[in-house]
Amino acid sequence: MSGVYGEGLLKGLGITIRHFFGKAITEQYPERRPKLAPRFHGLLSLDPTKCTACGTCANFCPNGVIRIKSERDEQKRRHLTGYEVNLLYCLFCGLCVEACPEGALRFTPHFELATYRRAGAIYDLYALSREAAGERRAAGG
Amino acid sequence: MPESTKELYTEEITLNMGPQHPSTHGVYRGILTMDGEYVVGVENVIGYLHRGLEKIAENRTYTQFIPYTDRLDYLSAMLNNLGYVQAVEKLMGIEVPERAEYLRIIMAELQRMASHMVFVASFALDLSGWTGWMYPFRDRERILDLFEMASGSRLTTSYLRIGGVAEDVPEEFWPALKALLADLPRCFEEYDGLITGNEIFQARTKGIGILDVATALAYGVTGPNLRAAGLAFDLRKARPYGIYSRFDFEIPTGQNGDSFDRFVVRIQEMRQSLRIIEQAVREIPAGPVRAKLPKVLRPPKGEVYHQIEGSKGILGFYLVSDGSTRPYRLHIRGPSFVNLGAFPLMVKGGTIQDLVSTLASIDIVLGEVDR
Repeated sequence: MSGVYGEGLLKGLGITIRHFFGKAITEQYPERRPKLAPRFHGLLSLDPTKCTACGTCANFCPNGVIRIKSERDEQKRRHLTGYEVNLLYCLFCGLCVEACPEGALRFTPHFELATYRRAGAIYDLYALSREAAGERRAAGG
Repeated sequence: MPESTKELYTEEITLNMGPQHPSTHGVYRGILTMDGEYVVGVENVIGYLHRGLEKIAENRTYTQFIPYTDRLDYLSAMLNNLGYVQAVEKLMGIEVPERAEYLRIIMAELQRMASHMVFVASFALDLSGWTGWMYPFRDRERILDLFEMASGSRLTTSYLRIGGVAEDVPEEFWPALKALLADLPRCFEEYDGLITGNEIFQARTKGIGILDVATALAYGVTGPNLRAAGLAFDLRKARPYGIYSRFDFEIPTGQNGDSFDRFVVRIQEMRQSLRIIEQAVREIPAGPVRAKLPKVLRPPKGEVYHQIEGSKGILGFYLVSDGSTRPYRLHIRGPSFVNLGAFPLMVKGGTIQDLVSTLASIDIVLGEVDR
């Protein structure tokens, strides 16, 4: 390098001092929520009215995360009765969402999924969606 | 040696470094034999992060293995995706749509920059330069935001698919990418001003950990580490894959093969990646991003080896197909693993503080070393 010894150090200090008076870019996370991309891979959500319990998502999952429970009615048509997602093994790769022929499965931006116990990481999306629908009914009258 | 210490009885000691040590970049462990503070020998101990990915591949379909490639070198998921999907495409003879090819180039070069930014940052941190750590990470964050827009994930992207990419990038991707490309040259200037030009940094890296071309080739060292020694070998130019032959860029090389050159070569490479992305953004055509393929892939019987220029060197995938839906065998040539092999030779005779900076300068990621 050219010039006086120590010039490089001063140049570096100049850069940091310039930024010292600039805008802060650190995200104050718990107080301020991050703005996530619409495609963000958070918790999965299921639309049970669209789901035909075909099991394609479970077949495409690399890790066997999805377990589907269904029963057949009198016309031999399959109905969903449970949709268990074990997030302990989930890679959040999105192959299940991509595979769904009905578009029933999608990602939500909900990302705070830490739990104290293993059981807390197992979600029944079918039950969750029914609860949500019940709440909507109660709220909407 | 001063006269007074000549009669003192000295002996070599064995010093254990890692696997839980912040400067080992993961769970690398080295058994150092020391004479005072001089390194007599180093024995690499690896395997603490071994997950058996090659074996896992045998129990997954070809598509299902893509998310696992993210976890090889977890700082360059897109590049790992690229190497793997191109290997499968080579095996099956799949044509990839033009737009997907361009998107792949943009993603791969962004990933190369992100990986090099981590290198620059952690190199500075290993020499106790905290400020040098913060600036590259600030810029890497914006690249990861772009990945999040396109793929939904920041690190483990799983964005590439056999026959294209998962989905076309959203509208908001392009303005964000262009803003980033406009800001990056100034960011690289800042890295140079903060780290490269710093006299303390130069004193700690110049003439340290020298690796010459002949030794590098003998050990199979590739990537920026080889180029820093002075050999302009880059697979993107030497054996172009994808559509790399259409782009105009240079291969930066060093002269001395020391830690400083390895650092400078990577900063220069980021500038070249920027050039490639700018060209790709200009030329990207409209159209489909995924070839029409059956949902379950059944490649013909046979074997294929495909290698790409990863962020750390040659990343190779050797695939054997028995005609079923799952690979019969997958072997991964991880550049970090091979590069680490030359490490004991590079640090022999140096001091222990130079060992830390040399380890940082060869840029290993243990996810790839152990697989």
